[in-house]
Amino acid sequence: MRIPLGTLRILVLLAVFVGTVLFFASQIDGYLNARLFNRISGSVAVIALIAVGQAFVVLTRNIDLSIGSVVGCSAYFTGGILIAYPDLPPILVPLLAMGIGAVFGAFNGFLVARFRLPSIIVTLATLALFRSILVQSSDGSSITTNRLPTWLTEFATLNAFTAGELQFRWIVVISLIVVLTAHVFLTRFRAGRQFFAIGSNPDAAAFAGINAGRTIFLAFVISGALAGLAGFMFLSRFGNITVVAGLGLELKSVGAVVVGGVNIFGGSGNVLGVLIGAALIDLIDTSLVRWELVSAFWREAVLGLLILLAVAADTVLMRRLLRRKPTGGSQ
Amino acid sequence: MKHLTVSTLALCAAMFGVQANAQAVTAEKGGNANMVLLPKFLGILPFDQANRGAEEAHAELGNTGTLLYTGPTPENSVAGQIEILTTAGSQGQAVVMLSNNAGDQIAPAAEAAQAAGTKVVTWDSPIPSGAGETVFVAQVDFGSIGVVMADMAHSIMGGEGEFAVLSATPDAANQNAWIAAMEEALKGEKYASMKLVDTVYGDDQSEVSYNRALALVDSHPNLKLIMSPTTVGIQASAKAMQDEGLCDKVKVSGLGLPAEMVSYTMNGCAPGFALWSFVDLGYLTYYTSYMLATGKITGEVGETFNAGRMGDYTIEQDPGRENGKRILMGPFTVYTSANVEAEAN
Repeated sequence: MRIPLGTLRILVLLAVFVGTVLFFASQIDGYLNARLFNRISGSVAVIALIAVGQAFVVLTRNIDLSIGSVVGCSAYFTGGILIAYPDLPPILVPLLAMGIGAVFGAFNGFLVARFRLPSIIVTLATLALFRSILVQSSDGSSITTNRLPTWLTEFATLNAFTAGELQFRWIVVISLIVVLTAHVFLTRFRAGRQFFAIGSNPDAAAFAGINAGRTIFLAFVISGALAGLAGFMFLSRFGNITVVAGLGLELKSVGAVVVGGVNIFGGSGNVLGVLIGAALIDLIDTSLVRWELVSAFWREAVLGLLILLAVAADTVLMRRLLRRKPTGGSQ
Repeated sequence: MKHLTVSTLALCAAMFGVQANAQAVTAEKGGNANMVLLPKFLGILPFDQANRGAEEAHAELGNTGTLLYTGPTPENSVAGQIEILTTAGSQGQAVVMLSNNAGDQIAPAAEAAQAAGTKVVTWDSPIPSGAGETVFVAQVDFGSIGVVMADMAHSIMGGEGEFAVLSATPDAANQNAWIAAMEEALKGEKYASMKLVDTVYGDDQSEVSYNRALALVDSHPNLKLIMSPTTVGIQASAKAMQDEGLCDKVKVSGLGLPAEMVSYTMNGCAPGFALWSFVDLGYLTYYTSYMLATGKITGEVGETFNAGRMGDYTIEQDPGRENGKRILMGPFTVYTSANVEAEAN
């Protein structure tokens, strides 16, 4: 029986995820219930989008640290436009948010791809730059729920369908569709495979006629657009948007990508893994609040430690499993 | 006997001191002093309101110097504040009005600014050790806000049941002082049937606070109230309770901005909350700074001055900080469905 390496990795991640759930269930009274699913799925919907965008960038041996600022800007500007034009057709609004995010992403992509600047420097600078644009243009006023159209603030809790007490909200369904689309695109399409090619061997990719600059630019635009869509969900879910919106999301997204098994040096990974990675990080974050053993001062440290453990467990398990297989496939 | 004499003398001196200063010093308009208003970070409403108050006082006093409203961006708050304070000192600004977000880390920069002749007046959030600080303009007595929070909880919960606190960050000095003051107040007999079951932290971010509020409800099935002494936390909690249809069961209270809370107060999710005026806080802070810059007061305990439309204020020893001096603004307003709409617009 041969299981492809990619599938194996997903299975291992799932095992770690289930193990984490069982661990917290043994520690916290009344932990396993439908509400846990409803809580975590809603919040993962937002993080997963950002993490998938980040995965595109990381696959090409780059990183996007500005992603939290892009989420904040998209949420804020989309909210601002909606307050000025409350009659915009609802279907246009997420597209608008994606457009705003894509513009920020294109700016990153242009600097990285055109001038071959290191992405860690470029996006570290734009992390501050985009946030400053937001601060300057907001002029100290927040977007508040009561000024937004009702359909928008209600959208975040709208169920696509329910199964017993399990609620599958539209934002969760949309997020899953995006993840699956990204997965199919990356694995089944030539244009998708190019992201892996650039990351695993840039020289070979160049010989094969792949335009590295264009692919990297595209990765940043996708990352920006998905951050924009996340910004839309953010706006819908939290209603009140201040200039600190989305602060620190770069850490969560990189965490989800790495835990999800994407090679931080580019070239390999799977967005289904990233989805599980995002869910795992959010699960740990949410559950730690309810775990009385850990005080608030240590929560961040424990979260960091558990992420390290998850990555280590994943690596060790993978190595063991690979050693047993006479011919390890590669991806 | 000698001891008695000394203390009698001290008492006389103290009384004499009070007598001498009972006549409040008034400002001389048209002075020249360059002022810097430095919030925790730029871009959120309360600080902009404080700036509005400072601008009002600036115009009223006819200061021929400049009033500069500047601050760091949110992700760079601590380092940015220290940098701006350091720069202000070397530029020879007369006064920096600081809402400190850097704890005692900023003390060396504040001391350097003082040495260069720049006064440092804190407002909203002081320098904990008091080092490098001329005086702190306190929005409210940190002890009395604890009583107000306990009373709001008492009235919303009908005097009994479980409630929890959703704060900003675990190391926010003013938040911790207020929560401690509330716990102290809760020891009173009136609150004997109320139980504070948990304290969690939302980092003053909507998304974190929202998720924390839901986690509180999940952990404590009998929870009747979430008390959030931060403007971000209170509105995120109210939104979370509304979204999940929990408003009948779990109410929200704390410190909030009327403009952000009005819908939740009107629909019953957050029946009551409190806040002071940030415009007034900015106005009083500016007046204090102007009096210091023009040499009308020197920042000693017992000095009394007139702060325009807000009346007379006296510098006193800060009861919460051994080496700190404060000017207590007070009072604050409790908002309910009766008065929130008028204030929100």
